[in-house]
Amino acid sequence: MSARRARRSVGPGTTLAITGLGTFTGAQIAERLLERDAPARIVALDLRLPRRLEGRVRFHRVDLTEPTADSLVAEILEKERCDTVLHAAFFTDPYPDLEYAHELEVVGSLHMMNAAAAAGVRKLVVTSSAQVYGPHPDNPNFLSEDHALRPQRAAHALRDRAEVESLLRIFAQRHRAMVVTSLRPCWIVGPDYASAVTRRFDASRVVTLLGYDPLLQFLHETDWLDAVELALERDAPGPFNLAGDGVLPLSTLLRLAGKRSLPLPHPLLYRAAYLDAVARSGDSPEAFFDYLRFLWVVDTRRARAELGFEPVYTTHEAWMSFVVSRKLRGYR
Amino acid sequence: MSDAKPPDANGRIPPEALAELRASVRALRGELERRFGIPDTSPPARAEVDEGEVDPAEADVPFTAPAFEPTAGWFEGLGRRLRARFEDVDVVKLYEALRERVSIPGAADVSAEVDEFGLDERYLSRARGWLDWLFDRWWRVEVSGVELIPEAPRLLFVANTAGILPWDALMVAHAVERLHPSGRRPRPLVADWLATLPFSQSRLARIGAVRACAENAERLLLGDQWVIAFPEGQKGALKPFRERYRLQRFARGGFVPLAARLQAAIVPVAVVGSEELYPILFEPRVLRRLVGVPVPITPTFPLLGPLGIIPLPSQWRIRFGEPIWFDEVPPERAADPLYVNRTREQVRGAIQALLEEELPRRRSIFSAR
Repeated sequence: MSARRARRSVGPGTTLAITGLGTFTGAQIAERLLERDAPARIVALDLRLPRRLEGRVRFHRVDLTEPTADSLVAEILEKERCDTVLHAAFFTDPYPDLEYAHELEVVGSLHMMNAAAAAGVRKLVVTSSAQVYGPHPDNPNFLSEDHALRPQRAAHALRDRAEVESLLRIFAQRHRAMVVTSLRPCWIVGPDYASAVTRRFDASRVVTLLGYDPLLQFLHETDWLDAVELALERDAPGPFNLAGDGVLPLSTLLRLAGKRSLPLPHPLLYRAAYLDAVARSGDSPEAFFDYLRFLWVVDTRRARAELGFEPVYTTHEAWMSFVVSRKLRGYR
Repeated sequence: MSDAKPPDANGRIPPEALAELRASVRALRGELERRFGIPDTSPPARAEVDEGEVDPAEADVPFTAPAFEPTAGWFEGLGRRLRARFEDVDVVKLYEALRERVSIPGAADVSAEVDEFGLDERYLSRARGWLDWLFDRWWRVEVSGVELIPEAPRLLFVANTAGILPWDALMVAHAVERLHPSGRRPRPLVADWLATLPFSQSRLARIGAVRACAENAERLLLGDQWVIAFPEGQKGALKPFRERYRLQRFARGGFVPLAARLQAAIVPVAVVGSEELYPILFEPRVLRRLVGVPVPITPTFPLLGPLGIIPLPSQWRIRFGEPIWFDEVPPERAADPLYVNRTREQVRGAIQALLEEELPRRRSIFSAR
């Protein structure tokens, strides 16, 4: 792990600002950086601070949905002399309040970008998702970072993420001195990571679509955190796809886990589950289930070459780690 | 009944006891009729016989319902004979034997590892028996020109296509694997709209088919795989029966610059027979717009429903042509549109010429000779 030794951006004497400490990524990265021998100063920008981090980080209460959040954040970043910003203030799952989600994810990200530019921050790392490519029958087997972002119309959360990505690209073109990195992980699984996706796969009987058996990839949560750390340490601008090695068909994954599948014809499922899905996520069911229908496998060659990303867990191992941890907890 | 005599040594009830029993039953019946007013419906002839004293010979004959006798004969007899014939047949064993013979891969034949495009070796080895059967028995494929296929690390086979389901892709791949000394199995590129149909894409992926697009072809060739492309695309798959064996336009011909850039030789392949599998009468645009996928009308589909998916057993001939090499082509030329267009037409002409040579060699569509 030569990449781990080359601590340039987040070492002693540097200051890192993190947004979204309530998310798995924000909280875990803060913990990891604080546990180092020579930790960097961490500035937390959020609505509230998790109790575990109290007294260990410098906390500023910031509401990114406020119209003047950008100047407030710029002031804080300048005062605290932050060199690096990790922007992780995104909903893990699609949030049913579409307007608020849009305000936080798109407008909030725009505020963060503008504030980072005004404060002269050296690096901005944003957590995105590989789901922004969208599941499509005409996707190539391996999506590269240059592929068009085509989230489904039904998925508001992913439309917002795609908008953030395009804003970020324009922002990076305007501010060439700043290192702007966006990380696009595929579905993250692991013992501690919980999301709408892992909740779907928690069940002993998983709803699948009759006649469809797509190839899937998974990323283990520790590999994901390693990748975020790498992005904070190394100066690698641009978007990066992140996934474990190897692909497995959905049916094989369920067989490996000893789970049964409940295959339903998709026209039936999309109609029957409509109200439930809208109440949960604000989206119609295809926003999730199309990912169990068509290909959206990503190519991680760029992250390996430029970021030094070396996933420890393959897709198979990440999945088994997830399944085993849930079984030990007695979820099944 | 307490004073009824016990049966004798032969297990027969003594006649006097039987007479006593009948008398008591008659008395009971008369009592019931009197109470509930049920009219006596028994045939008078029978009643007469009953009236008389029972003779010992008749008492031996067990009582049978006479009304059912004529119909019960052949049917019950058949059932009895069938049961006797198949008494020792184990249904489970029979099913296992059938599975062994037909060897259609099922859910149990899936391995825990697939390659990056979803090829499952275990599933493929199960499917081989079935592909062999299609190759040898159903279509009786005759292959020529295998000796022309070079032992190059990267090869791009280019073939004519027809039919909605990619049987031709599977058969060309199978022909190369079986007959070429290298034993390599080329990966066919199949139409992308198959991914929207349920049940097709996952099975095709497991036996090595990959969605046709430039990115996939490039990745496969870079991984030193042999690839089969069908540049006619959807236009070829949906061409009407009257245009069989006339090659359609080769879309953008993206395969030429790809092969030239990656130094993959192009092997033209002519497949005769595949264009009679599903003789497409017409393909209405209205239905395509309605359903979202093309719905070709053939003599059997959708008339016979799912049976219309069964391909007709035509006799096939697969002919491989002289490979076209790109060793002396400089990279900047590979991107020249005029050069690309010319090479594309050259490949198309080569396949059409092979087709013209092969077509007169078969006497009939369905029989071998």
